[in-house]
Amino acid sequence: MTVASIRVAVDVGGTFTDICIFDDRSGTISVEKLPSSADPIEAVLQGVEKAGVDLHDVALFSHGTTVATNALITRRLPRAAMVTTRGFRDIIEIRRGTKEDLWDAYKDVAPPYIRRRDRIEVTERVDYDGAVLTALDEDEARRVAGVLRRKGIETIAVCFINAHANPANERRMRDILAAELPGARVSCSSEVLPEIFEHERFSTAAANAVLAPLVSGYVNRLGDRLKSSGYDGDLLILHSGGGVMTPKTVEKMAVRLAASGIAAGAIASRHIAGLAGFSNAIGLDMGGTSTDISLVADGVLRTTKEWFVEYGYPICLPSIEVLTIGAGGGSLAWLDEAGGLRNGPQSAGANPGPAAYGRGGTAPTNTDANLVLGRLGGELISGAMTLDRDAADRAIGGHVATPLGLTVPAAANAILRVANANMADAVRLISIRRGYDPREFVLVVFGGAGPLHGVDLARELSIPTVLVPPHPGITSALGCLLVDIQHDLSTMFLGRADAVDPADVAAEFEKLEEEGHRRLAAEGVAPQDMQLLRHIDMRYVGQWRSMSIATSGRLSDLGGIVEQFHAAHAREHNFRRDGAKVEVYRLNVTAIGTVPKPDLPEHAPVTASPAPTGTRPVWFQDGSAAIATPVFDRASLAAGMVIAGPAIIEQLDSTTPIPPGATAEVDAWLNLRITV
Amino acid sequence: MDTQSPASGGPGRAYSLDPVTLEVLKNSFSTIVDQMAEQILRTCHSFVMYARDFSSALCDHEGNTVMQGSADIAVHVGTLHFTAKAVIEAFGDDIGPGDVFAVNDPYLGGTHFCDVRIVRPIFAGSEIIGYSQSNGHWADIGGSVPGSFDVNAKEHFGEGLRLPPIRIVHRGRYCGDVVRMIVSNTRAPEAAEGDLHAQLEATRIAEIELLRLVAKYGRETVVTAMQEVQDYVERLTRQRVAEMPDGTWETIDFLDYDPANGEGLVPVKVRMTIAGDRIRYDLSGSAEAVATFLNGTFGSSFSGLVTGTKMFFPDLPLNSGFYRVLDVELGPPGTVVNAQWPTAVTGFCSGSYGKVVNAVFELWSHVQPQRAMACCVDIEYLLVGGRDRRTPDGDVFMWYDWMVGGWGGRNGKDGSSATSAVFGVGEAVQPLEGQERLCPVVTTEHQIATDSGGPGRFRGGCGVRKGGVLTAMRGTVMSYCCDRARSITWGIQGGLPSIPHGVWLTRAGGEPRYMGAIFSNVPVGEGDRFTRPSAGGGGLGDPLERDPAAVLEDVIDEYVSVGRARRDYGVIVREIDRELDLFEVDMEATRSERRRIRAERIGWLSEDPEGVAGRFRSGELDVLDLVRQFGVILDWGTGQLLPQTTAQYREMLQRRAVPAWLATEGGAA
Repeated sequence: MTVASIRVAVDVGGTFTDICIFDDRSGTISVEKLPSSADPIEAVLQGVEKAGVDLHDVALFSHGTTVATNALITRRLPRAAMVTTRGFRDIIEIRRGTKEDLWDAYKDVAPPYIRRRDRIEVTERVDYDGAVLTALDEDEARRVAGVLRRKGIETIAVCFINAHANPANERRMRDILAAELPGARVSCSSEVLPEIFEHERFSTAAANAVLAPLVSGYVNRLGDRLKSSGYDGDLLILHSGGGVMTPKTVEKMAVRLAASGIAAGAIASRHIAGLAGFSNAIGLDMGGTSTDISLVADGVLRTTKEWFVEYGYPICLPSIEVLTIGAGGGSLAWLDEAGGLRNGPQSAGANPGPAAYGRGGTAPTNTDANLVLGRLGGELISGAMTLDRDAADRAIGGHVATPLGLTVPAAANAILRVANANMADAVRLISIRRGYDPREFVLVVFGGAGPLHGVDLARELSIPTVLVPPHPGITSALGCLLVDIQHDLSTMFLGRADAVDPADVAAEFEKLEEEGHRRLAAEGVAPQDMQLLRHIDMRYVGQWRSMSIATSGRLSDLGGIVEQFHAAHAREHNFRRDGAKVEVYRLNVTAIGTVPKPDLPEHAPVTASPAPTGTRPVWFQDGSAAIATPVFDRASLAAGMVIAGPAIIEQLDSTTPIPPGATAEVDAWLNLRITV
Repeated sequence: MDTQSPASGGPGRAYSLDPVTLEVLKNSFSTIVDQMAEQILRTCHSFVMYARDFSSALCDHEGNTVMQGSADIAVHVGTLHFTAKAVIEAFGDDIGPGDVFAVNDPYLGGTHFCDVRIVRPIFAGSEIIGYSQSNGHWADIGGSVPGSFDVNAKEHFGEGLRLPPIRIVHRGRYCGDVVRMIVSNTRAPEAAEGDLHAQLEATRIAEIELLRLVAKYGRETVVTAMQEVQDYVERLTRQRVAEMPDGTWETIDFLDYDPANGEGLVPVKVRMTIAGDRIRYDLSGSAEAVATFLNGTFGSSFSGLVTGTKMFFPDLPLNSGFYRVLDVELGPPGTVVNAQWPTAVTGFCSGSYGKVVNAVFELWSHVQPQRAMACCVDIEYLLVGGRDRRTPDGDVFMWYDWMVGGWGGRNGKDGSSATSAVFGVGEAVQPLEGQERLCPVVTTEHQIATDSGGPGRFRGGCGVRKGGVLTAMRGTVMSYCCDRARSITWGIQGGLPSIPHGVWLTRAGGEPRYMGAIFSNVPVGEGDRFTRPSAGGGGLGDPLERDPAAVLEDVIDEYVSVGRARRDYGVIVREIDRELDLFEVDMEATRSERRRIRAERIGWLSEDPEGVAGRFRSGELDVLDLVRQFGVILDWGTGQLLPQTTAQYREMLQRRAVPAWLATEGGAA
């Protein structure tokens, strides 16, 4: 038997299933892309088979999936119940009361994941400090279990007030449910998210409860199918926080998969930028209908605990911070009633798609604009799809050029300027408003449409360099191969930094670390592969949001950390208040089980010059004439080759225009490194 | 009042910027104000501000608003240009680079004293090209009670510190002395200065970003865009208004009472005229200012008109271009909607403001029936403040709470339940687990109030109920800023009202006592319990026309009780197995009950009110029977009839409910 040496990463999206296969021995990457199937597992297995992979040879199989996200959005969820403190069954329906759309009285927040009729109260109460004011009424608890049994509900969130301060009552309720309802899944709020603030904790636990049967079922089925086909290792599932977990953890923490799908691209852009020597990177993953933007500073992806799949229902476990905006290749350009030229967020989608697809779409999209300007060629996926330039001309002519009195190329340029400006504004929101200067970042562009817009966007933002990875269309799948097992643990710890006993902080950290060890060990991580990182969340006394400060080693006093907090506050928020008191808010431990990563092969530079496959006229700038522009096949480009703009670089899954003044160089990892 | 200043362009005027540059700069302005908001959220100290009671604006060199934050609190809308102009008016030529100003004066177009506005001029070279403004609700601004909400204040002196435009940064130098003077007059100086810093930085971010645009596009282009973005909104708004039918509509809403005049609802009159592409509002005929702090100044009344109107044009950006389309006559000075210095105005948000907004909703429901909406919950604040005996020094605590409630029933859709008041849709309720840490108040319930949604063919959204028990405290008082215990959140087109507001207080060992919807400084102590509901929305359409299947679903979820299903909707629901959510509608009994109600209900509205009050006192009728069936308003604590109030309330039902009932009866016969 040979040593297993293949790594497989599968990223299942709404439209496509991308498969990335890395062979450790040869150092080669191969890719497959196929339409997603109704049961996502079918496309996963088909793709693996199509790629000619024998699962016996696979050392590691990792997987990013939108199964959980889609289930939440489409509400195809199992009936779940909540058991909660008397007087508080409506916490998740009251939420914080806010609406996402302030001014449209006809647009409502979606209903909670668990209906009111399935939220049942029991008598119990814990106070803010963890003291039990009222013990759980166990007779009532058993009666509740009886009702749930009669209702046939098999997944239950147990959400008690102040359970973060003392989980005893929740645990007792859990045990009673386990005894009375064998086989039911119970999600205790104090276990899923042991943090203060009832709506955020309950909401996270409720999402866990509705996802648990579905997601665990999916993951276990996939795991079994892989096993029966010869895969011997653990299926690793990408979670929202940018790590992976095993099906065993998914059983308890299904909600962590709620943003599994979008994390992969961000991870890949961090890795690609890191290899190329950039520790600061903005990742821009532009597809057909939307663009996901992420940010890496000093080699660390920004994460957030304030996010949601649907407005009003926060999931407060760490997630890679990805800003998604409605701008993609298929976004529609349109004129509003006052004659303003707008772009998106409506999209032509995959059907009918852009006018150029010839499937009945008549409204102009970004893809149509790129086509009439020659930036996009007449074929996609190496001729598997041809584009109808006349249809694109008509769409732009009729909807934009004529009403604005512009030529078609000028109108197409205008469409792209608006699209790029919108994306640039989104990048500003995720960078400048966090205190980062985009000029110190590299822009990593991927997804089918990202490379088309990369250079223009970088110029708009004064970003000096753009990186286009070798396979922009499957970059997200690659991300699944680049992560470690990761558990994010936290505990509330409230106190003024000058009054806190560092020994207490250390003791709490040790408790979290023990739990981290336990979880990693249960997943089979060897002690030498375990890594535990500590962060302290701090804020000025009286402030509402905290900042996370990394800490390590022995804590003899908190002075150094307080100074780091002041400095971080100054960077992120432009001011510091040295005289003000600082308080500790929460302690976090990230438990990492290192997974061996593929070494992406380096290629020695060649001295040869690239040869174009032809030329075509391309409009690069407003008002300028079309330039006869050489077209290159990306597959023919080797490390060290340099292409000065104007040029077009085409490949199976994307197209990269290099405008005049910009220069692309192929680096050792076969990225296009464009100096704009 | 000058809200017109149409100097910079009318609808027919062409833009000088190309549509692409204009679109790009418009979006950039919008990003700038949203960056300001982000800065505030991440750094503010006031929990009120953190709960989104703030706003951000970019104003032009004349103070007109170019762009407001997309998630700004509604009540500040339409007032930020007034304060920017007040700064310009006060300082004229004496505004230099590196200056920053503060102002909170409600008599200069502000809202109330707690809303402190920080205004920074933005210079391109030696020329002012605009102002950035951050308006935030500080947790305290002095005055006689913690939180600066003194219900009993009759003049501004009891309400808090009044800031006319004053300079807090002078040519780049932070005026620490002035700032100390301000924050020393608040109960939480450190938090106040922390908020001030957050706001200063927010305005600076706008300056940096605007100057970046100047560097890129040139000053002329940016300045032109700041005008043309206003023209753009004006043009868009005028086009929409021109498509609406011309006409005049008027209505009247009420505050509960004026303590200076005894019982009797206090009218707020709103008349709207659409003529061509203009909207004219006239508030003449509204009552004299009341002897509580529920009055509004011109700023907040204008804001109410803008807010109400804007809800019918949800996609239009908000700036002075929108305001130019409104032609506003507030009527004579000294009324409840046009209060003058030194009349107390801090409670306008629960008082005149919500009445103006909901009246505007009703008027537009005639013009745009597809977006019709009945009356929505008004904001309320309950304050419990004193000394916390859990701390060694007995620290001051302030349990300062507001609730969500129901919005009005809509055309084809029930109202939105448990939603922040229109006053501040982004204003989030506080987590009770946070409150319990900070205050010796244990919350005993926070849940949807069954039967609180006003009955209608499309039911009003549900309100909620929140209460608690007071624990280790001393020297504690309770105050309530609220309204609509008598002028109850109403329905339209035959829909019925919600429920009366008011606090119920149960002394340790005593019986629940009704405290009303507005009171101040009531001593309370350990072991006392309290609760209060928030209103649901009013119903839209005749409740007897509601689909019995929808009533059944409401009963299963206990949004509606079995009893009220019968009384309000005439739907007879029988329980089969509550544990399994099994209920059924008795269709035959329902038809007959609906016939009976139809035959009798108009008569109920003229039954002798004293007799009805007696039946209430004897327990035969309950509060909802009175407000929904008989149109009788009592002092809910004593059961005493309020005859004048009842007459006005019945007149209201005659206007909002009876005509629609008569119309459906014709159809149903």
